[in-house]
Amino acid sequence: MRPQGSTGELASDWSLLERVVRKDEEALSALYDRYSGLVYSEAKRILRDTGAAEEILQDLFYQIWRTAERFDEARGSLGGWLLVAARNRAISRLRRKTGKTEELKENGVGLRVDLESRTAQNLLLEKVRGVMQELPEGQREAVELAYFEGMSHTEIAEKTGQPLGTIKTRIRSAMETLKRVLG
Amino acid sequence: MTNGGHISAEELTLLAVGAMPEEHCAALRAHAAECVDCGAKLAEARGQAALLALGVAQEKPAATIKAELFARIRAEREQEEMYRWPAKSGEEAAHAPARKSRRGWSLVPVAAALAIATTWEWKENQRMAGELASANHQIVKMTNERQRAEMLVDLLSSPDTVSVRLAAAPETQPSAGMVRYNAKRGMVVYTAELPALPADKIYQMWLVPATGAPISAGIFAPGPHGTRQLWTAEVPMNTEVKAFAVTIEPAGGVAQPTGPKVLVGAG
Ligand SMILES: [Zn+2]
Repeated sequence: MRPQGSTGELASDWSLLERVVRKDEEALSALYDRYSGLVYSEAKRILRDTGAAEEILQDLFYQIWRTAERFDEARGSLGGWLLVAARNRAISRLRRKTGKTEELKENGVGLRVDLESRTAQNLLLEKVRGVMQELPEGQREAVELAYFEGMSHTEIAEKTGQPLGTIKTRIRSAMETLKRVLG
Repeated sequence: MTNGGHISAEELTLLAVGAMPEEHCAALRAHAAECVDCGAKLAEARGQAALLALGVAQEKPAATIKAELFARIRAEREQEEMYRWPAKSGEEAAHAPARKSRRGWSLVPVAAALAIATTWEWKENQRMAGELASANHQIVKMTNERQRAEMLVDLLSSPDTVSVRLAAAPETQPSAGMVRYNAKRGMVVYTAELPALPADKIYQMWLVPATGAPISAGIFAPGPHGTRQLWTAEVPMNTEVKAFAVTIEPAGGVAQPTGPKVLVGAG
């Protein structure tokens, strides 16, 4: 167990979630302060729309408030879940605009890295940015089109004029690099 | 699927990054839901993919979003307190206001209005609370009157602002509304989802005080379906309100309600 700081910043996600289940607003506030920036920035990158990103952010934390008891360690990391859920919601909104309405679902998300403290977050942000900058252009483009634009590998192949096999390889290589650097 | 019936590493990565064409996803997800091994691998691949989100420029959301979130939560807690009431069966309750409204303007009994409210799906409640919060965003964004925005956020999060959900008379469904009322400040803020009216008609919001005649809280016309609007009105301070109601009136509004009630809620 990590020691709890006087500001409560180091209370673990799970201990805060347990308090949210008991309708403790302060605990929700602490989780919000911990993850709202990450969630908001991600949604805004995908939608390029402040209002829409704000809505996704608020709805996710509202969902945590209403259904905190449904989150358990079996579902994996809360930070990871939030990032995946924000991405899925933003993408389904983006695709609705273009006429595609598939329902995206969130399930367990295993995140091996620590996102709970501000320091760990900052370190990780820096590392990921570094990896992304150093990826070969084609690899970065492929993962970004998939993750942030919601494009399938066939759509990416069409858009970039590259063979499907190349796109698959690029995505896999990019993810392997990310995994290697971040552990 | 290769890899002896299991999901291959490449498929896992493509699925997690969101690059798998939708037509292949269902089968893979179904397998991951059944197969413990693939389920765990997929969860891990999702976590890896989520790290991509950390590569984007970091921005802080506006402070008003957090204020609204907590206003929404508090309003709902109050609401839940208020609706903890023995309800009639859904069928009976849903018809109560229609019968009353045929007798012209009369107060919808508080218990009947509460019964309607309790038949609402939780999801519906959540949606309306969301609408109000989003409508609030809209105001904050669209107006340069920063003070007004601040007043609204302050009003919405004030502990003495009460929230009242307006339920539709059966013939006007699907319609709904939500009112936030602060008696001390004499402020009413509301949002409503109602069908468009002919040009010579308008919706009018009423406060029904504990004693005396209904008080107008303004006329309003909802925009095209799906748009969110928030209306505000000043009313006499410290009015004890028994109910809120929306009626259809001649364009320009009237001093006292004459038309059919389309939304009602107990104050
Ligand atoms: Zn399997």
